[in-house]
Amino acid sequence: MAPSTCFHCHQARAIIIRPKNRHKLCRACFLQIFEAEVHETITGARLFYPGERVAIGASGGKDSTVLAAVLKTLNERYNYGLDLCLLSIDEGIRGYRDDSLETVKRNAVQYDMPLEIVGYGELYGWTMDQVVEQIGKKGNCTYCGVFRRQALDRGAARLAIKHVVTGHNADDVAETVMMNMLRGDVPRLSRGTNIVTDSDASEIKRSKPLKYAYEKEIVLYAHHRQLDYFSTECIYSPEAFRGSARTLIKDLEKIRPSSILDIVKSGEDMAALVPQERSQGGKSRQAAAAAEDESAGGCGSQNGRSSGGEMAAMEKQLAANDAAESRETEIGHPTKSFRPTGKQVKVQTMGYCEKCGYISSNRICKACSLLEGLNRNRPKTAIEVSVGIEDEESSTTLRRQMERTHLTNS
Amino acid sequence: MPGKDLMHPCVDCKDAESLFTVRKRQLCRDCFIHFVGSKVNRHMSKYPRPQNLEDPCPQLLLPLSFGVSSSSLLRQLDADIQRQLNKPRPRKSYDLHILVVDPLSAAYDQSYEAVQKAFPMHTYSRVPFHSVFDYVPEMQDLMWEYAGPQFADDPSRPDQDRLAAFRAAITTATSQADVDSVLLTRLVVGFAQKAGCEAVLWGDSDSRLAAKTLAEVAKGRGAALTWRASDGMSPWGLRFEYPLRDWSKVELQQYKQACPELADIVVPDNPPSDNVLTKNLSIDELMMRYVLTQGEKYPGVMANVSRTANKLQASSSDDTPSCGLCGNIIGNVKGNSGLTASSQSGERQDTQFCYGCMRSRPDSIS
Repeated sequence: MAPSTCFHCHQARAIIIRPKNRHKLCRACFLQIFEAEVHETITGARLFYPGERVAIGASGGKDSTVLAAVLKTLNERYNYGLDLCLLSIDEGIRGYRDDSLETVKRNAVQYDMPLEIVGYGELYGWTMDQVVEQIGKKGNCTYCGVFRRQALDRGAARLAIKHVVTGHNADDVAETVMMNMLRGDVPRLSRGTNIVTDSDASEIKRSKPLKYAYEKEIVLYAHHRQLDYFSTECIYSPEAFRGSARTLIKDLEKIRPSSILDIVKSGEDMAALVPQERSQGGKSRQAAAAAEDESAGGCGSQNGRSSGGEMAAMEKQLAANDAAESRETEIGHPTKSFRPTGKQVKVQTMGYCEKCGYISSNRICKACSLLEGLNRNRPKTAIEVSVGIEDEESSTTLRRQMERTHLTNS
Repeated sequence: MPGKDLMHPCVDCKDAESLFTVRKRQLCRDCFIHFVGSKVNRHMSKYPRPQNLEDPCPQLLLPLSFGVSSSSLLRQLDADIQRQLNKPRPRKSYDLHILVVDPLSAAYDQSYEAVQKAFPMHTYSRVPFHSVFDYVPEMQDLMWEYAGPQFADDPSRPDQDRLAAFRAAITTATSQADVDSVLLTRLVVGFAQKAGCEAVLWGDSDSRLAAKTLAEVAKGRGAALTWRASDGMSPWGLRFEYPLRDWSKVELQQYKQACPELADIVVPDNPPSDNVLTKNLSIDELMMRYVLTQGEKYPGVMANVSRTANKLQASSSDDTPSCGLCGNIIGNVKGNSGLTASSQSGERQDTQFCYGCMRSRPDSIS
């Protein structure tokens, strides 16, 4: 069979089959189309204004490295007038983060961008290695995720920058949509697909310029531009985090490559269909809640994954609810007690942490309560808090159980 | 209290041997049927009993596939109506019209006879799948427009062949299943409108709804969930309702065992296709497999999926154009400023079809 020519320029030899739509493209056309699509996203969503200072959340992984490279290219090509810099978090994980930070340092030189590194050690007095030493390998991603969110904000504040871009890709967003469907988390469904999360509560706006880019295409882009990135996954994430949604999406992609984008499209539409009065009050609340969501997630490629026991824990709770309901039937008013099937969704209210002033739906923010637990050298807190995060909308029964645990301990 | 000497008494009536374990409760046959029935009846209680005997009651269409779920729904609604008629002031709060659509490949003669014998007080109709051309007058134009210029239709041929040719033009399993389900919905709606029904009672079990929800999301049809998997108004002015949304497929299979009259009616499911490659499955099939396998371990989580879909509220604006084929909105739901539909999906913008239908179109690359 004769080698195919590029679908786009009809001249050069095609060497890439685009994962998104199986078009055959030459290298130059692929890079150009990839960049043009990110540009379309940026202009379509009016992400930046001329002269804006923007920090790129850089982990050294493929997503953030491609983001940095593409933004630099587009900034020059289309005169965005952006002042770009790299912002990295040092979680303090030996054998993983120290190596990937070296990559980021090289990137800073390659792209000629200033680099700021914020460490968990200096911010919280705990590196992830120390956290894991204390609480073990299970559930530590919660700590890391919660800490990262604040660390990025504080790093940006240190640089006096008000906009952080992150490398979340279409696969991540699709995964979040599926995850929220499985969890039945309607409030999160209403904001998980937003390209921008900004708020009055936090000074710092976040956005995802690669929201519509396929993970596979990001890898191809990195490969064909020979970008310098770090491909090892975090050593503390061996569990099947978010496994269900992720496997499902990989299977879907095999059946119909467009389905990742199709899920994003569905997610965007469904977000608009979440009953308004319930999907949070104003913009600041909504974004503040979104900020909390991201903190509940994990790192770079793991973003948003939560601990593996989540499905089991939730199943248990749902079974308990169901059992309670059937006991209700036993008392004998099943037909009369018909509730109108109004569409009801739980509301979250946002405030500020009493300790550190960070936005929080509770009196004390997650980072502070996690730290409290760590500092008191009481591993049990880990259980309490991880349940709280995974099941924010948990029943009062669960809350009461947790309070009881709390009391017995103190 | 001197009770019967029972090994495992039913936890509800304590008066009979339990035969079924449902949601960790051991129930006798009657209490199990009552348990299932109570949730279905609760759903139907939105149709109030008329004050006067001569008041007309609403006609509701029940599409019957002779699967476990829709057969169970019919059995339960029949019992509900019987119960209403046995009251001191007997009157029905709704009338059932049962519709059987014969698929292209098979005919349900035996079951059709059996069901009319078992539940004789309802109206029954039976139509072939290709009667979609009769019940949806614009079908021919839609088909031409949708399939594109390379599809050659011959109106002189029988409808059955024309439909088969149209379906054959759609290449992937996913798109075929997708378009089939759209056509079936259109046929049922077209029939319901002609028969003067005001709502369609779909027999989807909770497992089916969960699979459908995930599949619709994966096919870019998330906006249609407000009626495709949720009790709500369909784009054609008929309400869609899912009274079995509290019961999983496994539980309904138990229900079937408890009701011997269903034995002659239910047509056994096709054995799962022996496709070993995920690649060759349709998205609907993949999701059904996912829900059934995960449902063994996490029945509650799967049940939650359809509940989540049921929380979505239909968009209020009427000015958005809707898809000629499936009725879904074209473009984005009001309030969605995402870019997926406009720039990133590429190809043709000047279309009367929605995002989801464009994905299943015969010549689209997917």
